[in-house]
Amino acid sequence: MSTPPLIVLEGITKHYRMGSEIVEALRGVDLTIRRGEYVAIMGPSGSGKSTLMNIIGCLDTPTSGRYMLEGTDVSSLGDAALAAIRNRKIGFVFQTFNLLPRATALKNVELPLIYAGAPPQERRQRAIAALESVGLGDRLRHKPPELSGGQRQRVAIARALVTGPSIILADEPTGNLDSKTGMEIMALFHRIWQEGNTIVLVTHEEDIARHAHRIIRIRDGRVESDMPNPTPIVGAPLLV
Amino acid sequence: MRAGEYFLSAFDTFRAQPIRTVLTLVSIAIGIVAIVAAGGAATALEQALTTEITASGAYSLVIQKQPSIITSGEQWRRYMRRRPISYGQASEYKRRIEGSGALVSLFSAAPSQTVRAGTEHTDPDVTLVGSDEAFFPMRNYQLAAGRPLVGEDIFYARMVAVIGNDVRQDLFPADTDPVGKEIQVQNQRFTIVGVLARKGGIFGQSQDNMVIIPIPVFVRAYAEEWNYSVSIFVRARNQAHLEHVFDESIGILRSIRNVRPGEENDFEIEELASIANQLGTFLRFVGLFGAFCGGIALVAAGVGIMNIMLISVRERTREIGVRKAVGATVRSILVQFLVEAIVLCQIGALGGIVLGMLFALLLSHLAGIELTIPIGWVVASIGLCTLVGVGFGAYPALKAARLNPIEALRYE
Repeated sequence: MSTPPLIVLEGITKHYRMGSEIVEALRGVDLTIRRGEYVAIMGPSGSGKSTLMNIIGCLDTPTSGRYMLEGTDVSSLGDAALAAIRNRKIGFVFQTFNLLPRATALKNVELPLIYAGAPPQERRQRAIAALESVGLGDRLRHKPPELSGGQRQRVAIARALVTGPSIILADEPTGNLDSKTGMEIMALFHRIWQEGNTIVLVTHEEDIARHAHRIIRIRDGRVESDMPNPTPIVGAPLLV
Repeated sequence: MRAGEYFLSAFDTFRAQPIRTVLTLVSIAIGIVAIVAAGGAATALEQALTTEITASGAYSLVIQKQPSIITSGEQWRRYMRRRPISYGQASEYKRRIEGSGALVSLFSAAPSQTVRAGTEHTDPDVTLVGSDEAFFPMRNYQLAAGRPLVGEDIFYARMVAVIGNDVRQDLFPADTDPVGKEIQVQNQRFTIVGVLARKGGIFGQSQDNMVIIPIPVFVRAYAEEWNYSVSIFVRARNQAHLEHVFDESIGILRSIRNVRPGEENDFEIEELASIANQLGTFLRFVGLFGAFCGGIALVAAGVGIMNIMLISVRERTREIGVRKAVGATVRSILVQFLVEAIVLCQIGALGGIVLGMLFALLLSHLAGIELTIPIGWVVASIGLCTLVGVGFGAYPALKAARLNPIEALRYE
């Protein structure tokens, strides 16, 4: 084992102050995720799964515990260093897509590369390639309001993929889509996983979680169960 | 993030909110218009004044019944009670002071005259000047044709005149030589002996719309019926000589005008340079006041910018969250919003400068002087606008930069 696991969480806790009360969102989470895994994190609302995702995504830092990402301790990094990690190592896919509404699909996908400091020519080429890989090669100039929900989510996936991140972190990616489109998106994730990407899926839907190969259940800020899923669903083929 | 991206991003935002952008630009531009117009006009006036006075005014004195600059009605009434300086007194003064080597020119004028030549006549706005041969070198007047007034014209009180370029244009076709022709002012006839070269205007007064006749003729024919007073211009050789002439002049005039010992002078004797200084100070004050008003307008515009940016930050909360999620640092968000504010202010400044220059052009055109681009004011305006952008953009930009990405992404 020359390369360390992708993600190692050791005794992660997260406390929030809500007025005068202290909320213990995470109460000691240990977790290891290896390269190439397809993991679902499940749990009811309030379980702490969103907090866990935010910490894994380096949007938030733990109150205590250690988070090793590709062998680097990122638990106590400053803003600029965390931003750089989000930029290079993490690709977010959100339930509400979170695209810039006034920018074209191309511009949206270029955004992470702008912060990476890539030159404009290279940026364009990589963004076009990413959009083509999710089947939107003919929608480069469309703005989000001109796209369907499924198309928007595919733009968001292209944006997550464009920097070649270590993890794709998807937070309820089908939550705002009808079930047919949701299945298409899950098929896309399956293909992305097959291409060698690591996917962490956060969801409260059993049907969605069963696409993953390993299901981690969170309850009351702790890992309740962590089991492989021997029979993952393979989504419907992508209808482009 | 590369520097150019901040500007591109700023322009994307402006394009997305055209009305808001234009309104903000206008509010900035208004402040700058006031600053540049006031500054431009003041600078132009001051420059015209300095050119005029340095051309003819080095080591010069002007002696008049009242000071050149009167600042209150009370002063005006006091000076107007003084006896006029008569031609006789002025001539006597000239005779006595010339012994010291000073150059002296006597001067009196009647405004709003109509000049006739044959069937042609001018508007009733010509200044009829009574003066002498020293008038031309001391006031820096060049001749376009003919000759200036000479000593004999004065001594013999000849009925001759030198006319300004405006009068010439009004009365004679361009291809005729007016020298030797006759003109008539009120009921007196004069033979034209010279035409002045065009000089342009100062403070809204054309310096070409005049007729110059020998001062004894002026006094005899026109001035005695009204309460005229002669002005005396004196030019010394150098500063030491000037001071000598100044003191000498006071003594001579007091004796001529019978001012008793212990009484105040009943005339004013001033250095032209100090008059120019006073006027210059006044003009700078006017300019600064204009700039101050513009500054207040700018502060108001700045508050407007801050307000709009705060709204914009709120509206773009999600965008900020997304940018942070894909790798924006606190610093890059801060810079992005600051650049937006600064670019907005600077574009507004440019618009304001252009408009302000047009205003200054209009003002200086009305005042009849040439516009000089007030580079200092322009640079100051852009600098000031940048400051306004930074000053009022800082809080909203900081607010944007400090947004928690998790909450920003959830913001509805």
